[in-house]
Amino acid sequence: MTCDKIQEKFADYLTGDLDETGRRDVREHILGCAACRQDLEDLTVIWAKLGVLPEEQPGGGLRHRFYTMLEEYKDGLVAERKAARAEAGRGRRAWLTFQRPAFAASFSAVLLVAGAAAGWLAGGGSALKRATLSRELQDMRQQVALSLLSRPSATERIQGVGYSAAVKNPNETTLAALFKAVDGDPNPNVRLAAVDALYLFRDRPGVRESLVKSLAVQTYPLVQVALIDFLVEVREARAADALKALIEGGDLTPEVKTRAEQGLKQIGI
Amino acid sequence: MDAEEPRRGKTGHMSPTDNELMEQVRDGRVERLAVLFERYQTMLYNFFLRLTGDRAASEDLVQEVFMRVLKYRAGYMGDSRFNVWLFQIARNAHVDHLRKRKAALPLDERFAETPGREPRPETVYEDGREAELVRRALDRLPAPKREILVLFRFQDLKLREIAEITGVQVGTVKAQVHRALKDLGRIYLELRQGRAS
Repeated sequence: MTCDKIQEKFADYLTGDLDETGRRDVREHILGCAACRQDLEDLTVIWAKLGVLPEEQPGGGLRHRFYTMLEEYKDGLVAERKAARAEAGRGRRAWLTFQRPAFAASFSAVLLVAGAAAGWLAGGGSALKRATLSRELQDMRQQVALSLLSRPSATERIQGVGYSAAVKNPNETTLAALFKAVDGDPNPNVRLAAVDALYLFRDRPGVRESLVKSLAVQTYPLVQVALIDFLVEVREARAADALKALIEGGDLTPEVKTRAEQGLKQIGI
Repeated sequence: MDAEEPRRGKTGHMSPTDNELMEQVRDGRVERLAVLFERYQTMLYNFFLRLTGDRAASEDLVQEVFMRVLKYRAGYMGDSRFNVWLFQIARNAHVDHLRKRKAALPLDERFAETPGREPRPETVYEDGREAELVRRALDRLPAPKREILVLFRFQDLKLREIAEITGVQVGTVKAQVHRALKDLGRIYLELRQGRAS
């Protein structure tokens, strides 16, 4: 077999996808061909070296953004269907496409307020004045967060979670609203976003305890996994009993059960 | 085409396959996309991170991919493995990202061989000097070769799936992988010798 034909097999050889006949062809060829032997050796070395590149985890903000986008999209679909029905009822052609006016309006208002405050901060002035304005901005964010978290729309509540995550040092009321969202929000995507937001405040007293307790009340698999990830990440020893109870409870999906078992081992390390 | 293997849990419970989930998304159950997001966000993030070396841009690109999945869900046919379709979208998103980035660059930098040439902070990969050296070598490969290698080495894709994603013959992909690996090995050695001397 020619060198070209043999070299065509090298990629599959490296991944182990070459069948026995192919492997035999390669082995026989390189016994008699020093150039191909050297070539394959070089490829094998760099192939193995690529394996040292570690896999990184994306930040929690990505998950938050994804769920916000999904909620917006779902809201848009519902609005679109309603509008289409209404239009059909009036005998006119359905014309609406995916829009998100409620979200856009509330978010624009929020941006306007934040932008104005940021402008003040950037504008200079005395250190005392800047500190005061910074505090006011934080307070304002918390007020917006609390207001949004109490809205009936899941999209707005997710925005509320996002706003609370932007607060540097949230007060107890804001933290309590996030705990409430984790445990009691009817929408799992809001619960998930709240878990991610609380990761930012993981060193505040009460945060870890609250999420350990939350393990017992969550039933939605993705939220359960997010809680387990959180508690493993912070190596929360108090989560071990809650994880054991969760595993023994037996009412888990296989993925969550596997993750809980892994988590239990990781916390024990 | 490959039939996708269902995922079986320890109790024998069958999780939905990627393909089943995407068909549900296509048919209006868009909340099922959350499961696909959880399965693929890390893989996609690392795909983009290895191509761009930029964490923030990689997160933006993952978000962009899932937005496009929703946008194009009606056209999902399910005649290939789901990840082939997903990486076709990811690849297009990356091409658009490069195009925008190029448009934003000063003229003399637009024709540089690959993006992201500037040395990155040591913290990008913190897994020792060897990983740093491999990463730098990968960075120096021209973008198309880097893309082929990243798809082949890290994304659990077969050669014929990469051929489907990139729209070329399988034989071409084999040759591309071979050349890209040889070039990478040469660059790696140059960097190592450069550091030793």
